[in-house]
Amino acid sequence: MNLKNMTADRLVGLYRNHDLSVTEVIRSVFDEIERNDKNIHAFLTLCKDRALEDARRIDGRIASGEQLEPLAGVPVAIKDNMALRDVPTTCGSKILDGYIPPYTATAVERLRGAGAIIVGKTNLDEFAMGSSTENSGFFVTRNPHNLDYVPGGSSGGSAAAVAGGMAVIALGSDTGGSIRTPASFCGVVGVKPTYGRVSRYGLVAYASSLDQIGPFANSVRDCAQVLSIICGFDPYDSTSADVPVEPFPRDIDQPLKDVRIGIPKEYFVPGLDPEVKQRFQESISLFEKLGCRIDEISLPHTEHAIATYYLIATAEASSNLARYDGVRYGIREGGESGLAEMYRKTRMKGFGKEVKRRILLGTYALSAGYYDAYYLKAQKVRTLILQDFQRAFEQVDLILTPTSPTVAFRIGEKTSDPLAMYLSDIFTITCNLAGLPGISIPAGKNTRSLPIGIQLLGNHFQEALMLQAAYNFEKAFLVQ
Amino acid sequence: MKISEADVEYVAKLANLEVADDEKKELAGQLSRIVEYVEQLNKLDVSSVEPTTQILEDVKHAIRDDRVVLRTGSSEAGKTVKHFKVPKVITER
Repeated sequence: MNLKNMTADRLVGLYRNHDLSVTEVIRSVFDEIERNDKNIHAFLTLCKDRALEDARRIDGRIASGEQLEPLAGVPVAIKDNMALRDVPTTCGSKILDGYIPPYTATAVERLRGAGAIIVGKTNLDEFAMGSSTENSGFFVTRNPHNLDYVPGGSSGGSAAAVAGGMAVIALGSDTGGSIRTPASFCGVVGVKPTYGRVSRYGLVAYASSLDQIGPFANSVRDCAQVLSIICGFDPYDSTSADVPVEPFPRDIDQPLKDVRIGIPKEYFVPGLDPEVKQRFQESISLFEKLGCRIDEISLPHTEHAIATYYLIATAEASSNLARYDGVRYGIREGGESGLAEMYRKTRMKGFGKEVKRRILLGTYALSAGYYDAYYLKAQKVRTLILQDFQRAFEQVDLILTPTSPTVAFRIGEKTSDPLAMYLSDIFTITCNLAGLPGISIPAGKNTRSLPIGIQLLGNHFQEALMLQAAYNFEKAFLVQ
Repeated sequence: MKISEADVEYVAKLANLEVADDEKKELAGQLSRIVEYVEQLNKLDVSSVEPTTQILEDVKHAIRDDRVVLRTGSSEAGKTVKHFKVPKVITER
């Protein structure tokens, strides 16, 4: 059985009608992984025994006619920066080698509570720092659409697992586009919720004021379903927002009459690929046909977003990653000449190049004499970027952009130039700085058969409208 | 601003990182280019702008009573890890 393009919605229906057993689906997932993951390299760790045990248990409950949870028996992959009890969590880093968390992240726990079966932990750029999943401390993940291309990052393993038919749903995390970019490059749907919507408890921190967990799936409806499960207040995350969570799939098929969509004029950048631009313009027309009103808007500080992001994110990272010193987690090196030497030796051996680069940049931005000039200035520009969006949302309900200025790039194409890699995040990064929800939806392929994604941004906590618009687009796109 | 190899060495020390000699030059070059790029922010006058540290400051954030609560798994952590051993902290002069 091939799970490519399978949705949880459909799969659960097949279980309910006894057309498929959970055990045969989970078995076929692991068969597919065995066949295909030696080429794609999406997974770092598999949970086969545990998954098959879960499957048998759910099959037993189906046989006895029990009421099932919304995701009962659905195979799910988890980005390896979220804790799952008794299973290694590496964050794609050698420094966490051997670390096994004694607890489970809230978002993962909630998915399990909804019946999801976790098949494995997926590859990522080390500590989620990257846009291509080439910075993993273990191996490079490849794009299932073409193995010579990157899957995007940093949640590349999760996107590739869903696109490759090795999971039906996956969780990722998004600090500057790490869910939306790989969703766009791999031709799947990916959502970054409003900051504070999903608990970060059990998510290894990269940049705490920007990080947010969200889903990948083959349909907008599945993402909506997952969000209604994982969103919501959690006392274990001090930045968790106590805001009511609607059942997102409920009104998803309502028509889009009179919804106002803004197109930011600053997003027509010189580096925008002509085929991406064309698909984007076709998407604008499609939303118009669906009854939306299209307005040009201005987000004047967009050009400063990447500079702002790389100062704030690296500063927060340099502080968050100070805890990896060989004392409590993972590997330990040296120590013959005392504690300080052990810290340095462990960190030198355990961290990869990009992580060291970002720690150094963040430490520099926070160091005496430079704090005001770099870090504080970036926080002030963050205010200007947020105000850009606040003004825009007085005028429109949603904002439409391409997800990325290009399709997936070739493996190795940008690894020697960190700045070029950073610049590829231009359309996704503002959303994190402003704490907004964003979704990437497939909008066709280019002439080389590589997927193109478009992005919708909503106002804070307006996921419902964003998902409704995305669902209507997805439906209209499929029939056109 | 240009980042020199000495700057790299100094910042690495602050960050408890060791950087190999052959990496210093490459890092100084890469960091210089990144720092020159982020200095575009100097074009903006932000003297009257308040900094943003957290989005959604008006949302009630999680605060609870300061007492011990055992969550699933936390007791196991106590069982497997009694203490962390570290090398000598005080070294002779």
